[in-house]
Order: sequence, then C-alpha cells, then structure tokens
Amino acid sequence: MPALPELRELQRAFGNALLTASGPQALSELAAMLGVEQPLLAIYRNTAVGTLSHALSLSFPAVQQIVGEDFFEGAAQQFIATHPPTGACLDAYGHDLPSFLAQFPPAASLSYLADVARLEWAVNRALHAPDAAPLALGVLAALDAARMPLVSFVPHPAVTVMRVETPADAIWRAVLAEDEAAMAALDLTAGAVWLLIERAAAGVQVQRLSAVSGAFTARLFAGESLQRALDAAAVAAPVAAVATAGAPEALETTLAEHLAAGRFTAWTEQGDRTS
Amino acid sequence: MSDPVHSDRQASSIPAAAGIGLRFPHHGHVLRAHPSVAWFEVHAENYFGGGPARRTLEAVRRDYPLSLHGVGLSLGTAEGLDPRHLRQLAALARAIEPGLVSEHLSWSVSGGHYLADLLPLPMTEEALDIVCRHVQQTQEALRRPILLENPSSYVQFRHSTIPEWEFLAAVAGRSGCGILCDLNNIFVSASNHGWDPSRYLEALPGDAIGEFHLAGHAEVQLDSGRRVRIDDHGSRVAPPVWSLYEQALRRFGPRPTLIEWDTAIPEFELLLEEAGQAADYINACPPDRHACAA
Repeated sequence: MPALPELRELQRAFGNALLTASGPQALSELAAMLGVEQPLLAIYRNTAVGTLSHALSLSFPAVQQIVGEDFFEGAAQQFIATHPPTGACLDAYGHDLPSFLAQFPPAASLSYLADVARLEWAVNRALHAPDAAPLALGVLAALDAARMPLVSFVPHPAVTVMRVETPADAIWRAVLAEDEAAMAALDLTAGAVWLLIERAAAGVQVQRLSAVSGAFTARLFAGESLQRALDAAAVAAPVAAVATAGAPEALETTLAEHLAAGRFTAWTEQGDRTS
Repeated sequence: MSDPVHSDRQASSIPAAAGIGLRFPHHGHVLRAHPSVAWFEVHAENYFGGGPARRTLEAVRRDYPLSLHGVGLSLGTAEGLDPRHLRQLAALARAIEPGLVSEHLSWSVSGGHYLADLLPLPMTEEALDIVCRHVQQTQEALRRPILLENPSSYVQFRHSTIPEWEFLAAVAGRSGCGILCDLNNIFVSASNHGWDPSRYLEALPGDAIGEFHLAGHAEVQLDSGRRVRIDDHGSRVAPPVWSLYEQALRRFGPRPTLIEWDTAIPEFELLLEEAGQAADYINACPPDRHACAA
C-alpha cells in the first residue's frame, strides 16, 4: 500500500486532477493513490469545471451567444485548464478570457470576438467593482491654475476606458437584444472606437468617446498628469481638428464631465494624494 | 431580559423558523413584492464587490434577518487561509451585521487556485488541527463565532481515523464554533458511504447546533452499476430528508432552518412552499423541545 499522503500533498493532487489539462490522467492517478473509483472523483471534476464554465457564461453572455453554447463551453474548458481562478469570488474570474480568445485558433475568423469580450469584462467590472466615494466636485477649485497641469487622478474602480478596433459596443447591443436588423447594419471596417463603461444609477452605461477625448481620458485613467494627457490628445487629434475638438477648452469640458460623473476617487499633485 | 451588552445579539437575530436561500434570479421579486419569509441566507462571496448586488443585500438586510453563508474560505486548506478572502468576508460582515455567519467543513483551494467545489477532507488528526486553527483564525477576524456545516461527499479516505460526526464535535469543542447541521448532506453522505444517518445525528452535540439546512439532491448510476447521491440542490427536499429533519427537531429542538436551491432555480413560490413545509415540522415539534431551545 502506498504511503498515506499528507494533506498538502493530497490537495495538490486533487488540484491537478480537477482543473488542469492533464486532468483525466491525473484523475486516474489520484483514484489509484486513494483506492477509490475514478468516476466518483470525476463528479468533483465535473462540478468544478461546470461551476467555473457557468460563471464565465454569466460574465460573457454576448460572447457565448456569438459562438454558441458548445463552442463557448469548449473554449471555457481550455481557459479553465490554463487559467484556473486564483480566488473564490467568481465575479472576479475571467479577466484573462479576452486575451485568451484573441489567441484562440478556433476563433481566429471572428476578428471582433476578443473586443466584445473586453467590453463584457468592463461591464462585469462596472457591476461588481468595490464601491468607492467619488472625488468631491470643486475639490480642485482651491488649486492654483498654474499647478493644474501637474495633477493626476485615481479612476473609480468601476469605470473603464478602452479603445477597440471593431464596433464592439454595437455588436454587443445587437447580440444581446437579438436585433437582426442592427446586426445586418454593422460595419466591421468602420475603424477603432473609444468606449467608456461605467456604473450609473440606472445600471451599467456604455458610451463612445471621440478619438481626442478617448486618448485624453485613457491617459488620465492610467494615472498620468493632466499635461501629459493633453499632449496625448493633441497627438491623437487629426490636424484639422486640433483647433476645435483637441483644444484645451474642449478637454476641460471632458474633465469637468468626468468629475461630475464621479469617475475619479482621488487626485495627486507632486506626489501628494488627496481624496 | 439579559444585559444587552452581553446578550448574544448575533445568534439571536435569526429566528428558529424557516428561511430561504436568496439567489440572484429572485432579487427583483423580493425587493418588489416583499414576500413573507422569516429570514434569508446568501452566499457571502457573491457580495464581496459593490454596486447593485450590494445595494440589494443592504435593502434585504433592512427588511429581513440575514445570514451570511461562505462557500469559498476553504477552512480545510493545508497551505493556510487566503488572507484577502478572510479580509473581504470580515469587511462584508462588518458592513451587513448578519445574524449568523457560516462556512463548510471542506476545502477548495490548493496551490493558490480555487477548485470551485466543496472538497472532502481526510478525517485525520492533521486535518482536525488545520480546521480548528482556521476556524479560530476566522472567528478572530470576524470577532464572533461561526457555524461549521457538515459536508456531503462521494469518496472516503482510507487513512481517515475519525468519524465525521466526531470530527465536527471536536472542532466545535476546541474552537467554540457552532454546527450548521445540513440534513440533506447527512443523508447523501450516509447513503454514499453506508453510514447510519440517525447515529450521525445522535452523535452531534445538541448545544452546538445553530442552524439546519434542507435541500434536494440527485441520484445517478455509475457505469459500474454503483448508485451515488449527488448534492446538487436542484429539486425539492426528498422525503427521507424530511424524516431526518423531523428526527433532528425532536432531538435538538427548533433551530433556524434554511431551504437551499442552487441549480435549476424554480419560481419563488415553490421555495415558499418548501419553507412552509419546514415551518409545519417546526410547529409540530413537541412543546418541550421548543422550551428547551429557547
């Protein structure tokens, strides 16, 4: 009879058998080690994989609808085997699914699938991110205008700004609404769009930003200073638009909108963080 | 009246009546219709974040006694509790002030990965030490006692040396935790392993029992011909589980009793019917048992 496993060793063996790609083989070895019927251990594997696959389908409903349930389950099983969850809060599981799908050969023909997945992850974040008090309006009023360019902000955890190469927002809406006409009207070659996804009183909101406003907002959300965000916006603006949309006055309005909508929780200037 | 400073506010706020496990599909109905339910229990991990789920929980907590049931702390993990998970559970309990907090005699985490099921522990002295240590660590973080639920299982380990009922009683004795007695789990495990469910019940320390769980299970046949009961919480409570519940009420007296339903979740009406049936059993419980439990 083999030596009795210590608990840590037994749990490592279970972990390999339940979630890894070598699971079926590992399951046989575990069954032999424990002297139990393999199908009994398979109940645990089926429950674990089924629970995680279901959790992913709840967070990525449009992706599932686009590829169909069987394809989604196959992709989910491979994802689970290579990216098992690191915590028990399943709302937080699936962060890496968009990049997994972008590299998943069977989905290579669906150029927009990973973008839709990124959008759905942002929606999931808007739903489940921790609550955080927004930065009070007017908190910057006391600041000397000359120091304003040095200010940077901490974004609210429920807000995401992203650039996608396909009209992922239009696809996402059409798929979830099962709107055939909207799907037929989609133009996948229309070019990149900037999206802002956030939690609002009425639910999750997804809206488009202009190229200039998007580039500006993305830099701000990355924690860069106002000056660097303005510089990035100037680069993003087409030459003809610099004088209008890319002008600091227009972006001042964008910043004011972000503050009014509670999209920041704190600001920093010269290394001091104040909420 | 006991001194309010020393009274057990936390344990007393869930009534010894039939409650319902609240799941997402019924959030809207409960907020709108405000059904007559003695208390609700939720899976703690579903509310670790903020936003609409947390707002719903706060609204339910204002109107009903509420119990937090953890499914992912993994008290039996040899490598130690996930400190982040424990912090999140403690923060939620601080914010919601639930009447009860419970977890499972099982494990789910190994190598830093969550295995998404309540996995069985070998019933050894090593596992007993680990579980007791983690229950104590949890109770210190929450600053309150928890209830520990007996698991359902499909395999037994041949190096187990302690019967499960003795293991539970030992954890309760050493850590001061209570026991969440899941009658469906006792029935499922007893059926799978050839134990006597009555003997299991008789062996539990009555003063530690803080709650009962009731749920449905499935029965499948393996290729070998062996029949296995699976704790899927996907149907009505089975008749032999109701009988075991009746027996538990006679032995321990009424306790908060929860109807759980987690797969193929039905209309809320059906959950109310199941809770009504549990209430009938509680009401039929001999009065001396009520006095004993009070």
